[in-house]
Amino acid sequence: MQKPIPRRRFLRGSGVLLGLPWMASMAETMAAAKPDASGSQNGDPQPPLRTAFLYFPNGVWEKDWVPESEGTDYELSPSLEPLADLKDDFLVLSGLDKKHSHGGDGHYAKTANYLTGMPVAKTTGKDISSGGISIDQLIAAKVGNQTPLPSLELGIDPVISGIDSNVGYTRLYGSHISWQSPTRPIAKAINPRVVYERLFGKRMKTSTPEAKSYQNLLDYVLEDARLVRGKLSRDDQFKMDEYLDSVREVEKRIEFATRDQSHRERYEAERDRIASGHALEIPETGTPGDFRQHIDLMLDMMVLAFQTDSTRVATFMFANDVSGRSFSFLDGVHGGHHELSHHENKEEKIAQYQLINRWHTAQFARMLRKMKAVKEGESTLLDNSMIMFGSSFSDGNRHDPDNLPLLLAGRGGGTIQPGRHIAAKGQVPVCNLYLSMAKRYGLDLERFGDSEAELTELADV
Amino acid sequence: MFPAMPLACFLFRCVVFAACVAAPILSIADDDPFAAWRKEYETAIYPILDQACSECHRGADAEGFDLEQFGASEKLQKNATVWEEVAKRVRLNEMPPEGSPQLNDEQKALVHRWFDSRPDDNECERLANEETQAWYRGVVMSRRLTRTEYLNAIRDLVGMRVDESLQVPSDGSGGEGFDTAGDALFTSALHIEQYLAVSNQVITDALNSGGQSSLAGGLLTDIASEAEAREAINQFARRAWRRPIAGSEVDRLMTLMNASQQSGMPIREATADAFKAILVSPNFLFVVETESDAGGVQPLTPHQMATRLALFLWSSIPDETLMLAADANELATDEQIISQMHRMLADDRSRALGENFGLQWLGLSQFEGESKPDTTLFPDFDERLAEDMREEAVRTVWNVFRDDRPLMELIDADSIHANSTLASYYGLDASEQGLTQTDDSETWKRIPLSDRRRGGVITLAAVLTRSSYGHRTSPVLRGRWVLEEVLGGRVPPPPPGVPALEEAEADHAATLREQLEIHRKDPQCAACHNRMDPIGFGLENFDAIGRWRTEQDGQSIDSSGKLPSGETFSGPEELKQLLLRRSGEFKKHFVKKLYGFALGRSLNKFDKCVVDESLEALDANDQRATVILETIVTSYPFRNRYFKPANP
Repeated sequence: MQKPIPRRRFLRGSGVLLGLPWMASMAETMAAAKPDASGSQNGDPQPPLRTAFLYFPNGVWEKDWVPESEGTDYELSPSLEPLADLKDDFLVLSGLDKKHSHGGDGHYAKTANYLTGMPVAKTTGKDISSGGISIDQLIAAKVGNQTPLPSLELGIDPVISGIDSNVGYTRLYGSHISWQSPTRPIAKAINPRVVYERLFGKRMKTSTPEAKSYQNLLDYVLEDARLVRGKLSRDDQFKMDEYLDSVREVEKRIEFATRDQSHRERYEAERDRIASGHALEIPETGTPGDFRQHIDLMLDMMVLAFQTDSTRVATFMFANDVSGRSFSFLDGVHGGHHELSHHENKEEKIAQYQLINRWHTAQFARMLRKMKAVKEGESTLLDNSMIMFGSSFSDGNRHDPDNLPLLLAGRGGGTIQPGRHIAAKGQVPVCNLYLSMAKRYGLDLERFGDSEAELTELADV
Repeated sequence: MFPAMPLACFLFRCVVFAACVAAPILSIADDDPFAAWRKEYETAIYPILDQACSECHRGADAEGFDLEQFGASEKLQKNATVWEEVAKRVRLNEMPPEGSPQLNDEQKALVHRWFDSRPDDNECERLANEETQAWYRGVVMSRRLTRTEYLNAIRDLVGMRVDESLQVPSDGSGGEGFDTAGDALFTSALHIEQYLAVSNQVITDALNSGGQSSLAGGLLTDIASEAEAREAINQFARRAWRRPIAGSEVDRLMTLMNASQQSGMPIREATADAFKAILVSPNFLFVVETESDAGGVQPLTPHQMATRLALFLWSSIPDETLMLAADANELATDEQIISQMHRMLADDRSRALGENFGLQWLGLSQFEGESKPDTTLFPDFDERLAEDMREEAVRTVWNVFRDDRPLMELIDADSIHANSTLASYYGLDASEQGLTQTDDSETWKRIPLSDRRRGGVITLAAVLTRSSYGHRTSPVLRGRWVLEEVLGGRVPPPPPGVPALEEAEADHAATLREQLEIHRKDPQCAACHNRMDPIGFGLENFDAIGRWRTEQDGQSIDSSGKLPSGETFSGPEELKQLLLRRSGEFKKHFVKKLYGFALGRSLNKFDKCVVDESLEALDANDQRATVILETIVTSYPFRNRYFKPANP
């Protein structure tokens, strides 16, 4: 009297055309062969577009950040000097504004909407909202089914504990920039071992029996969740929906890993070859004691994830907002990040604050160099990417949400002309930039967040 | 032996229960006791406030208290909490701030008297009459287990700690500032992946352990037949899901087991697959409180009650004893609940009250990750020391409950909890307690103090370190910490546009104390800094990693302070005495925190009843800390919940 376990009911008939991960070497061989009947991107010689959003906390000392001149011949500012050898590979974007952060408190109302651009609900817990879906998630919803992971959310710190009852916000707002929906932040992975397992571990591989037994198990718990949901109070059901959606996402990943065996096996072999070529030094517990190594590892894995087409969308938080991390390892710096960002216009503090900004830029440069070294046919991984790097307000002492400090690296697959300083005039919404990035993925949007138009300057010389 | 419940406590509960079944009582009182009070406000009080407070407290930039908004006499009654805060600040002479025109003695007397003469709202008795409003506002969600609860539950079920590299994502906070607030607990695909990985690993380990050392391991030995598999699955699900399991539920798990069997797995391994599913099921991962189709306010079932008790006192799931009590419906009376509570406190799992509740209350839950003293200046500070500091904080809070000490020992105590490392760090001679330098750091003892410099939470090395900068102490941060976390005060961020220590004058001031004195000349700054800074200076004898010091850079430490109320003190011992005199503020704040943690939501005005009851119970029971727990676990909101009917 036992019923057979229902099979893959969520994927069957979904009608979504699922693509396959892209590999430079495979693309070349497959381009020579004739395209497969399914018309999917199997062997598409065209490398895919990758996008990442990097966030660092506590703003910047503007005077040393924003270059004085505009256009192609601009001179690098002191905080951007670590990028000197990459000057032709990125854009400096200044003058972009996040108007929905003009009110609200110093930090929390500015970080949660870093990538949504919409108003953050003032709350210590109830009805948490970032105002909208974040741009990375919107892109992932479109292209996430082409890769083993729809998107990758990375960070270094656990979610900030506690609420700030004085300003009336829960501190978790300072820990999340990726929002699957206005009311649902996505947990970020902070343990390098966990990330490595997600990307390259045996868990999700085609050939292992784990995949099969996970499938049965997930079918089972989905049914459980539906039964529980039906008994829950109406106000609580959305919490079970989060669970249901998350289980389905994991199911899709397994489905992805187990279909189209022939391509899949070649892909996995190729991916593992690339991954094993990188000596990632991940400690036993997963997390290095020194946050510098921790950051290096996370960014290395992001590059590797892009290189192996394990995902095309990623976010990374160098630290949570209001981070007081000590930067005393830098010559001339004594003290914590947040404390020094409140420089009180004192020269000695500003100097230290600027050194911390510059250190972050150097880590960004290190990542870009790695991406530039990865060849994809005639181009490089960096050419086929849009990597945004910045903070959620400008001056740390004043917390201004206008004139956001932002850089955009990569050529967007040939749609962006880097090597310039674009200075936006008159409160141009940062969402204009996000809209332009989404359009490069073929998203049919009229607007995103509070956007007014596309940032056409990205392409123009 | 059960302590007697205070009379008021019983009365309150009787009223509530009676009213739940009886028809609602519609009118409160015929004559409005607030009428005279309001009149007094209009004629005598408002003119004083208008003259003294309007400059700052009116209109858009009203600093949290807007006379226009709250000052209208018809709003007095509704905004009780706002006015309570106003009364407190005026009484402590914190308002009007130094540098602004002050109230004269006659005005003060009038205002104080009016604050004191506020009629009682009697909300506790109206509670049941306004059922829907009250309970809707206080609804507790069917939430996910927090990361801490999840890890503890796994530990209790499979007898081992989860490998650190299988990290489950951490949680943020909501409600009264705790991770138990359902609104702030989210579930992502990453959670599910990690739950899968953890359940796969721990159940495989339990299967291979082949012993009776854990529940899972024991149940998974000697399974040879389908009937034995069924029984093992039933038992494991019962404990993991904290309730009796329906036959149809076991059927579904057996289907899963059979599928694994059909793929060629031996029956033991196949049963283990069902165990894995039990640990990824929402029945395990979520606190599912649902039974009734009726909706409205319903008492929890005995098993739901058992789960709430275990989550509150252990941050884990019920053990077999508690399950049996629930099975036998023996969590029905106050005595039964209190008896279980004391049994649970005596169990080591009650450590969670220190480690989970305590560290969240003290803002130390990420102490090791967040506190990064400058190692060039403080080479003595390392991870081991940080662990010991954290452990001291855990034990300080835990033992107040476990040893049933007076609550005020959290402010001032004649002993501390230390291991040999920490004892020597504090310069204490611990040999009399049998702690020697060669002891391993696992041995912790209660060590009596010859003075009162240490003892209590304020002088914990962890707290002193956490409220310092990496390279120096901060009297401002420490003062603010004491005001907020101990006294439950609020300290708004600096108003925009106020320059921070910017005056040229301040740059020339030699010491931090002088700089801050200049700072406080500005009335806008004085309002808060006069409250915070003196308290922080009282702790200046502790350096940025909590060590005792008598001088800094060749100058002797001045640890004296004067509060706006005129009270003066010098050093941590006198500071603690001063805080003991304000114990009412601390007790109220602490009870609210503990109660908010227990319920997993923010408190509303109806919760004042339970808070007040707890405070009365403290006074009636020599301030013993566990009477707060007794009051909370037997309170109406803890034992009942509001249900909106589920969708058909």
